[in-house]
Amino acid sequence: MELEVHINGVIEGLDAVTNESLLSLLRREGYSSVKRGCETGECGACTVLVDGIARPSCVMLASQVGGCTVSTVESLGSAEKLHPLQSAFVEVGATGCGFCTSGMLLSAFALLQNNPSPTEEDVRDALSGNLCRCNGYARPVQAVLRAAALLRGERVEPLAHPTVSVDEVSSVATEQVASGESGKHPILQTSAAASGSGGVTTKIPVISAQMLAPSTPVVPAPRTQLHVIGTATAAHHAVKAVTGKGTFAGDFEPRKMAYARVLTSPHAHAVISSIDVSQAKALPEVLAVLTYKDVPRTPYARIERTGETSLLDQYCLDYVVRYVGDRVAVVVAETAEVAEEALRLIKVEYDVQPAILDQRRAMEPGAVRVHAERESLGIVDAERNIATRVRTEIGDVEQGFASSDHVIETEYLVPAIQQAPIEKYTVTTYFDADDYLVVRTNSQIPNYLRRTLAQLTGLPMRRIRVEQPEIGGHLGLRQHIEGEDLCALLTLATRRPVRLEYTREDEFRSNHVHQQYILRMKTGVRRDGKILASQMVVFADTGAYGTHALTAQSHTVHALALYPCANMRFLAEVLYTNHAPASLSQTYELQHEFFALESHLDDVARQLEMDALALRRLNWLQAGARYPLPLAVGASRGMNTIIDSKGLSTCLQLVEEKIGWKTKRNQRKNDRYRRGVGIALGFYGEPGVLPGTSGASIKLNEEGSFELFAGRSENGSQLTTYLTQIAAEVLGVTTEDILLHAADTSSTPFENSANDVVSFYLNGSAVKKAAEQMLRQILSVAGRILNVLPESLKINHGIIKGAHGMQTTLEQVAQHSLYVENRQLMTTSFWKGQTFPMTFAAQGVEVEVDVETGGVRVLNVVTAIDAGNPINPMLSEAQIEGDVAQALGLSLSEEFFYNQDGVPLLKSWSDAHVFSATEMPELQTYLVESHEGSELFGSKAVAGLAFYGVAPALANAILNAADIRIRYLAFTPERILRAIHAYMSRKSA
Amino acid sequence: MSVPAVFDYHPVQSVDEAIALLQLYGDEAKILAGGHSLLPAMKLRLTQPEHLIDIGPIPNLAYIRKEKDAIVLGTLTRYKQIEQSEILHKYYPILPEGTALIGDQQVRNRGTIGGSVAHSDPAGDMPGIVLALKAQLVVQGANGTRTIAADDFFVDTFLTALEQDEIVTAIRLPLPAPHTGSAYAKISNKASHYAIAGCAAVLTINKKGLCTSASIAITGASTRIIRASEVEAALISKKLDDATITSASSHAVANADLISDIHGSAEYRQQMAAVITRRVIMHALERA
Repeated sequence: MELEVHINGVIEGLDAVTNESLLSLLRREGYSSVKRGCETGECGACTVLVDGIARPSCVMLASQVGGCTVSTVESLGSAEKLHPLQSAFVEVGATGCGFCTSGMLLSAFALLQNNPSPTEEDVRDALSGNLCRCNGYARPVQAVLRAAALLRGERVEPLAHPTVSVDEVSSVATEQVASGESGKHPILQTSAAASGSGGVTTKIPVISAQMLAPSTPVVPAPRTQLHVIGTATAAHHAVKAVTGKGTFAGDFEPRKMAYARVLTSPHAHAVISSIDVSQAKALPEVLAVLTYKDVPRTPYARIERTGETSLLDQYCLDYVVRYVGDRVAVVVAETAEVAEEALRLIKVEYDVQPAILDQRRAMEPGAVRVHAERESLGIVDAERNIATRVRTEIGDVEQGFASSDHVIETEYLVPAIQQAPIEKYTVTTYFDADDYLVVRTNSQIPNYLRRTLAQLTGLPMRRIRVEQPEIGGHLGLRQHIEGEDLCALLTLATRRPVRLEYTREDEFRSNHVHQQYILRMKTGVRRDGKILASQMVVFADTGAYGTHALTAQSHTVHALALYPCANMRFLAEVLYTNHAPASLSQTYELQHEFFALESHLDDVARQLEMDALALRRLNWLQAGARYPLPLAVGASRGMNTIIDSKGLSTCLQLVEEKIGWKTKRNQRKNDRYRRGVGIALGFYGEPGVLPGTSGASIKLNEEGSFELFAGRSENGSQLTTYLTQIAAEVLGVTTEDILLHAADTSSTPFENSANDVVSFYLNGSAVKKAAEQMLRQILSVAGRILNVLPESLKINHGIIKGAHGMQTTLEQVAQHSLYVENRQLMTTSFWKGQTFPMTFAAQGVEVEVDVETGGVRVLNVVTAIDAGNPINPMLSEAQIEGDVAQALGLSLSEEFFYNQDGVPLLKSWSDAHVFSATEMPELQTYLVESHEGSELFGSKAVAGLAFYGVAPALANAILNAADIRIRYLAFTPERILRAIHAYMSRKSA
Repeated sequence: MSVPAVFDYHPVQSVDEAIALLQLYGDEAKILAGGHSLLPAMKLRLTQPEHLIDIGPIPNLAYIRKEKDAIVLGTLTRYKQIEQSEILHKYYPILPEGTALIGDQQVRNRGTIGGSVAHSDPAGDMPGIVLALKAQLVVQGANGTRTIAADDFFVDTFLTALEQDEIVTAIRLPLPAPHTGSAYAKISNKASHYAIAGCAAVLTINKKGLCTSASIAITGASTRIIRASEVEAALISKKLDDATITSASSHAVANADLISDIHGSAEYRQQMAAVITRRVIMHALERA
């Protein structure tokens, strides 16, 4: 039907079929700022204004807007003239990955039209329909309030991003460390009460007077002589994000595109005994149907295991299906609807096999084998479903337990969740004009994809190009091959561009999940709290294929190392089950280990009747100590890593103070609402040397700007901003002079970072090195222009200065080199994996438990991270807030449920129980500056670290508040209430 | 899928026009109001109407007005209007209280009371509130207009007493007797805010402090919208002290068919229905 719609002030006559959504119409007309996140009106990524009212355009028919006014974010303002809301989002670092930004801006705009003076609550309510997974909502809310004030004509305070200096506030802590080393720890003093009451000389912990000092001063850290590093530079892609110009995987449409849909297994484990696709193939507009009969049975791995022996257990299409949602067949048709219809015409008969739905059953004698096929390679023990295992040990652990006064054992369970970025999995494959197979995907492994697709398609690598657009949230779910192989095979079969875009239900059903872990902790302690032996045993559920559970368990850093002792053991069994394959967290996969360790530490402290923080301070890893555990990864070198960070004690001191440990720890009440506080620590780093490399190239343009080519695109972790800051710092320019090109295998250097921490150091250092080389070349040319030695020159703000006022500009240098010396200044460098410094964090949580409902209200989350000399304090804080938001979901509400047959029960956002803007607690975030460690201007990675401590801090706070210990995430009201009832019946018995 | 199955779209300008189409297409037609429940269900192929009758364009169906003996809400009155209505805040705060708890702001911008009532989703908030308010639903069909008492209207899950060719045009709420208090609260999920268990209560207290009328409905917990008759019986003619309320509330979902799913087990829903019913009665009592 024909419609007349006013879109962004222009009257458009449009044609729409009756069942087309407004979202589809707008995207078809080129308004790609309107994003597709769910199609069911739940995520808000497709928000538009219809007659001024914010609405999800996916659940509105195009037919319904005839005669209406529709506004998208393009109408707010352009890059040249941003609306104050857009500017505020840029200035405060509210854009995250940028995928939900357009929708948020429109919701906020509608609010301010009706309510120019909103409260924070009003703003949160207005944003309640816009889900975000990377920034924790704090910054968007701050941005809207700031823009509102500006629009009212008020003056707003300039933004400040104070960090805390480790040197200024840690004198107390340093003294503790010092005296701890000499054997007399000040927090272990004989309590007068204890010695007076029984004459027993048991030492019980008391808090030292120094620790009771009234307030930890937040002292701004002194700034070093850096111009770009350490400043709150706007995110590299922020202006793009707020103007809706970000191009994600689904925002590019080659002509004559065809659409793929995947038929997936309804059974957790089955053999396909027959499959008939004739009816599907006969359906008009179906272009091709592929089953296992049509593809070579080549084993491959969905993930890259850098430097490790490969585990090849995956097939493009197989006659065995190993989880509900596993691939059975794939169809490509002129439309996704026809493809979907064709799926229903495929006749499959399954020979259903017994399934393993609990990893504890995987190793049992007689358990069914998930991988019985011969073709798969590298499985440690296929008979017992052990994909891989890790064993690392020092000292004599059994002897350590035997000589302990107390041995405490506890078991923890971290269930599966799915990270669920707002952008859905999307891949497009096509042959370009040069007959290259182009793969445009939001899986962030371009080089591995290129290599693997060459094997699977038979095309030479040179004919495959992988494009890596911006990613609408990585979160650990975008680091594996999901459907690129199928899409590429379909393009080969049809010579047509093919898109495979998951629905939200497909994401939950077929994509990977953050796997379930079961952890057993055992600790032997002396009466005074000194840990003598410790052991962590992990049973990881890698699901149907050996994916990220393997990388996760075999990296070199382990939570257990936070409390080193002479006798330590870490064991992990990575087990196959008939669940979805394992994904990972965006950084080191340690949140389960820290949940177990940091909950367990409080259990140990309770048993000893000792202050939980005193126990930690007595045992923790100290600056100057060696990393205690031997490294699990065979390829690693450098076993003698010395811990050089002094930030942990400052972090803990800050959190202890800000969360009100001393005053709030002992407020026991008997009313309906019980409050409590809990604290947990975390860290990561690279004590060993991981294989892996990352390259960077820099080219000087004739106007004095630089093209920077780097291997990893933006995924919400703000890496691209950090990279431009690093280059700008070295080259003495602003970030606007650095034009970044990231991740296209045809133009950018190789890189194979394992995660966002590794990529921070690898890519960052490669860029720094390339920039330093470029600077040397620039100064050489400048030296020749000015006729002085290059060593006497310095560059600042694009001007190269020598003694006696002589100077030249970058532009002159560029032109001189190009047109006089006939040289293009260009450098390429790389950085290979090596030891990275440790980043430490302390996190504190205050909760209120409703003992009638089991509801847990989080009142406050305090996070302090020793960030070294942060490259961009604003974006680091934003990142930390996002990590906390995700961790709150993991801890309190998100859980990936299966039924008894292994069928995932999550279908839509309403099943996922993620936090919205109205549910977030107050977040306090502190960056603690320390001046050691990293060669990257002393800065350290912070991404993902705040994900670790929230769950154990919550567990400890709930224990403090209601006397219940729950060792099973998530702390849903129902689980809490059950624990409360069990506690009460124990108590009355 | 991103598009529903193909259908014919009929925007209508009047109730009569809608009814004529309903008569013509019978089972094959559905009424489209806000669309927040119907369109996702159509995309997920949970329902596949061949004709969609959009009543959105009908003028004068979105209103809240006080008449002599009732407050009347037009069927297309949006949650947002209810939230901001002074009349409702004065007479029946339960309604704005309930709409403020629905989903997120985008749902409240668009969702309509008539749509929610006719959809009769037990996890919805409006049906329970309307039931507790003892509303009369004004219904128009081929044979003219009739009113159906809320108690007779909600038949089962997604099933109402509406005939094939009828649509709800208005919701009439009898004016409250003096010393009447009403309240609504629920225990709900993150983000979607669907009720795990909710309670709507309308209470009237006489000068002696005795409860003369109690109307209690439970949302979320059960597979259908239910009146908590046993709770009501345990309150009537009583002085509403803590013990009476607690004891009455424990019967909140007596004999009900409870939902048990990933959002909450039947056991938890039962316990929460009792807890929330007690809290809501206390709150309504404060307002009486």
